[in-house]
Amino acid sequence: MSEQLSADFVVIGSGICGALTALQLLEAGSVLILEAGPRMTRDDVVANFRNGADKGNFVAPYPMSRLAPHPLYLPVNNNHFLQAGPEMYEAEYLRVVGGTSWHWAAQAWRVLPNDFRIKTLYDVGVDWPIGYDDLEPFYQQAEELMGVSGAPNTGSPRNKPFPMEPVAEIYAMARIRERIAPLGYDLVTNTTARNSRGYDGRPACCGNNNCMPICPIDAQYHGGLAADAAEAAGARLVPNAVVYRIEHDAAGKIVAVHYYDENKVSQRVTGKTFILAANGVESPRLLLLSASDKYPKGLANSSDCVGRHLMDHPSSGLTFYADEDLWPGRGPMSPSSVNALRDGDFRRHAAAYRIDFSNASQVRTVTNDLIKEGVYGAEFDRQLRLRSARQISMKNVLEVLPNPENRITLSDQKDPLGIPKPLAHYSIDDYTRRGADRCKEDFTKIARAMGGTGLRYSPDGKFGNNQHITGTMRMGHDPATSVVDAWGRAHDHENLYIVSTGVMPTAATVNSTLTAVALGLRTAHHILAQQPRAAAGASTAAQAR
Amino acid sequence: MNLPDLPAPRPNATRRTVLAALLSASTAALIPWALGEPVADASQGAFLALSAIIAGRQSLDAVQARRLYAALCADDAGFAAGAQALLALINERRIDVAVLQKTLDGDRSPLAAIPRKIATAWFAGTVGEGAKARCLAYETALNAQIVADVLKPPSYAYGAYGSWTKQPI
Amino acid sequence: MTPLSFYRRRMGATLLALGLGLTGAAASAQAPVDVAQVQRGQYLATAGDCIACHSTVGGKPMAGGLAVATPLGDIVSTNITPSQTHGIGNYTLQQFADALRKGVRADGRHLYPAMPYTAYAKVSDGDIAALYAYFMHGVQPVDAAPARRTDLPFPFSVRMSMGAWNMLFLDKKPFVADPSKSGEWNRGAYLANGLAHCTTCHTPRNALMAEDLTKNLSGGDLGTWYAPNITPDADSGLGGWSTQELVEYLRSGRVAGKAQAAGPMAEAVDHSLRHLTDADLHAIATYVKSVPAVHDAADTAPVHARGTASNGMAYQRGDALPADPDKLTGPQLFDAHCASCHQAGGQGTFDRALPSLFHNTVLGRSNGNNLVMAMLNGVQREQEQGDPLETRMPAFRKVLSDRQVATLANYLTATYGNPNVKVTADGVRTLRAGGGTSGLVTLARVGMAIALLVVLGWAAWLVRRRKRRSRRF
Repeated sequence: MSEQLSADFVVIGSGICGALTALQLLEAGSVLILEAGPRMTRDDVVANFRNGADKGNFVAPYPMSRLAPHPLYLPVNNNHFLQAGPEMYEAEYLRVVGGTSWHWAAQAWRVLPNDFRIKTLYDVGVDWPIGYDDLEPFYQQAEELMGVSGAPNTGSPRNKPFPMEPVAEIYAMARIRERIAPLGYDLVTNTTARNSRGYDGRPACCGNNNCMPICPIDAQYHGGLAADAAEAAGARLVPNAVVYRIEHDAAGKIVAVHYYDENKVSQRVTGKTFILAANGVESPRLLLLSASDKYPKGLANSSDCVGRHLMDHPSSGLTFYADEDLWPGRGPMSPSSVNALRDGDFRRHAAAYRIDFSNASQVRTVTNDLIKEGVYGAEFDRQLRLRSARQISMKNVLEVLPNPENRITLSDQKDPLGIPKPLAHYSIDDYTRRGADRCKEDFTKIARAMGGTGLRYSPDGKFGNNQHITGTMRMGHDPATSVVDAWGRAHDHENLYIVSTGVMPTAATVNSTLTAVALGLRTAHHILAQQPRAAAGASTAAQAR
Repeated sequence: MNLPDLPAPRPNATRRTVLAALLSASTAALIPWALGEPVADASQGAFLALSAIIAGRQSLDAVQARRLYAALCADDAGFAAGAQALLALINERRIDVAVLQKTLDGDRSPLAAIPRKIATAWFAGTVGEGAKARCLAYETALNAQIVADVLKPPSYAYGAYGSWTKQPI
Repeated sequence: MTPLSFYRRRMGATLLALGLGLTGAAASAQAPVDVAQVQRGQYLATAGDCIACHSTVGGKPMAGGLAVATPLGDIVSTNITPSQTHGIGNYTLQQFADALRKGVRADGRHLYPAMPYTAYAKVSDGDIAALYAYFMHGVQPVDAAPARRTDLPFPFSVRMSMGAWNMLFLDKKPFVADPSKSGEWNRGAYLANGLAHCTTCHTPRNALMAEDLTKNLSGGDLGTWYAPNITPDADSGLGGWSTQELVEYLRSGRVAGKAQAAGPMAEAVDHSLRHLTDADLHAIATYVKSVPAVHDAADTAPVHARGTASNGMAYQRGDALPADPDKLTGPQLFDAHCASCHQAGGQGTFDRALPSLFHNTVLGRSNGNNLVMAMLNGVQREQEQGDPLETRMPAFRKVLSDRQVATLANYLTATYGNPNVKVTADGVRTLRAGGGTSGLVTLARVGMAIALLVVLGWAAWLVRRRKRRSRRF
């Protein structure tokens, strides 16, 4: 079968950003979504999870495309995502229909108004080419599409209320909130894309405590739902289509993309407007892969910024035993946080951060600890109950500043399709480390307020990762220092747009997904506004030819 | 890959005597119920006895015990012999379960891995490590059962929306 | 989509406004509206659940347009708002009463008994008058016809046939209280057999689709869903339920450890029953628990008390799953699709909000249709805010094939319910498509064809006989 595919809008990537953008673009023409990975169903992943040997491995239950693998580090590293160092950047992402947000904790925060201007305010990082007010209406639109709710007044102003009430507070979190409030720490319910009542045909949360790796009942929003919505509205979605080259004409206009199908046969897809939405690692990889005579450094890269300024949110943490039974493990996994440490003059010198409190069941990690300690017999029962009831785990979400040496490049090793693998160059600077040091004091105070014993800090200088892949195709006014403009359009190619966490020029301190979706909706809105009047009335559900 | 079923044990008075003879008075006292369990051979019997000691239980699921034993043997060819040797050691030196691991680690015993494997199999429901790790139990693993009055294992619903706002017990 | 409960609240506001003036049809030259009577009429209309059939989801209340699927074809409800152009705004009280109790419209044409006039025949004159007042003054007129009209296949498109059917099956006697029973029992009998029209679903029908009242409330087949036996039989019915449990079920649609409503009964609870007074629910329960018990020989144990906890994955955990989805076993399907809510052993959650599968009538009954329907369609109930409906159980219609539904349903009934229930993939396919069609259409047409042949044959014999006679002369 060699059908010549073509559409008005060709979207590369079916994750939450690509799919929701595709959904908007259907108003102006036909939409084709190319997804490197396979289709999957929620219930299959639930079964795989239960049958899996390492319940802490959130990637393992997901299907892995043979031809388009995503990174898998455990139990054995599949070496798809290579590391040049000096720090490891072992980001997790999924190449499946629906993308990575199948397994997230659904934290759906807006950034703060000041996050757009940290260069002006604090002389660090860069300013965004837009302000909070430019994005605000699209934040609202994203929140209503996704079903977002949260505590009021957490620093991000809003013009309209959340579509529903915040998720009911967990007993364990209420106790922590009461006990740390006298110290000036305000524990708030997280802003999440999680149903606090029936919404959008999906049930309210029932406390399956499994947000990561997967919500068994779709009480939280994810890219799979977005992909379903786009298809139901008339987008054509082709899975197992690994785009490996973007083709342009002599003037630099994008004319086609090339992908390998499941039989490794190359297919060419033409279109009028192209949207790159293949996450913050695979998108710059594709741009670099598409280097040509006219663009030897890769597409959209006259600035040499593609792949650069890679940022994520490193985490350090503290685990301790509270002096009362709290029993984490009932309700959502990431329900509450301290959010008042995200902004202030201190950002001149040290990274801002949030403090996330885990409500994941501690039974698995306590079991491992006890076995390691050689605790058996009746004492195991006693200790398991005691520790599972009282173990509290906190982590921070630290800001990282844009550094051009932190980047994604192409390796000289090839993946199963013969395509150069992505290579990460990453380091964490003193700005962030000073933030981690400041946070350690907060951790300690909080643990003491909870009567904490058995304090176990994460190793100094060693950070976990949060898979918030930002900066690699950043937006800006100046084509010399940015990849896309304020609308997400590539400076170098008039009909290429990028929707991704990768366009965010700074990382802020909150999970990036809602911001990326809002930016994508704003990009779509802009594209629709640019359409000629006649085409705007064209068929809304036109299929790709 | 599914493991083949091991032959179901046949009750056999001679073998019961063998198991009883393997145990010291103190060990036998810990697991009186196990003496009645029919076992296929001495090493499976040793596994059963060790399981009772390490899991600290008066009874264990016999079918699950056979599954775990089969998986442990498939994972480690030396497991069966090691289990017998460990039980003999415990009998001989009357090692209490509270100091079992410490004693073996301190002695740098070649049997030090055995209790950890048995504990992991019963408490965590897994056998093997790394790429060879297998899940044999999840919601029926002992760690889930020990807290089953308070928690559901992750992926199983806790209750209606909002049911987590109240103190559990 | 606006919930019908929203409309109910809005109508309440309309009633308040009535104090200021009149709405509706015959308002101009009438006496002032009796607000109390209109409110009583609204309560009675809720008991009769008029809104459930006479409104579409998202449509205006009482404006009709809902297609009720019957084995003979769709019957579409009419506009019963007081619109003078498209509704019943010109109806007199007598015409209203005749429609409700005799199944005859103002233009003299017959209604099909999808409109349960055989039940409403029991409604008292006083209640009819209150209902009339409500429909004339408490409902907003909608000057638009429903999008569809009823169009049954011949010969059932001929409404005159209903006249004959009514002669056979319509009991026109109004309700008469039984002096040997309590006031509460009589109230319950009046409501259950009248406005609440329980028999319409829960009583089996004969070949001509009339209720067989000798087996009252012993169960009725609705094509897909099955309205179960609610007689006080200890095994097949509600013999093991207390009156209080039955009241709880009518009020909430749920009794933990026994049953939960889905499909049409869930709608009846949401639109009608949960709005009735405690006293009326008690009365209905008292009456229902008093009707003659009818036992289905297939039920050898109480349908609400079958089964126990069982974890089919306990000795398979970690085993590889087959690549072909249609080869997944019952326990494997259960693990992927059911256990997340109903728990690994089928026992439900601590708070019983997500129900156990054993001690659950949907799996204990001898008829497996409701189990399959719940799996295909899920369970949705009205919620107070936002989306009109909340999903209590998701629909697996798009997730499971017919073969998978059959495998899973048989595993569920064998493990947690009545092991004699056997579901086939073909049966699932039929239910998925909306149920089988009735043989009645074919029967009627064949019957008519035979009758015509007989008449023609007799006429031909007559003609031949006359010719033979004429030849002799």
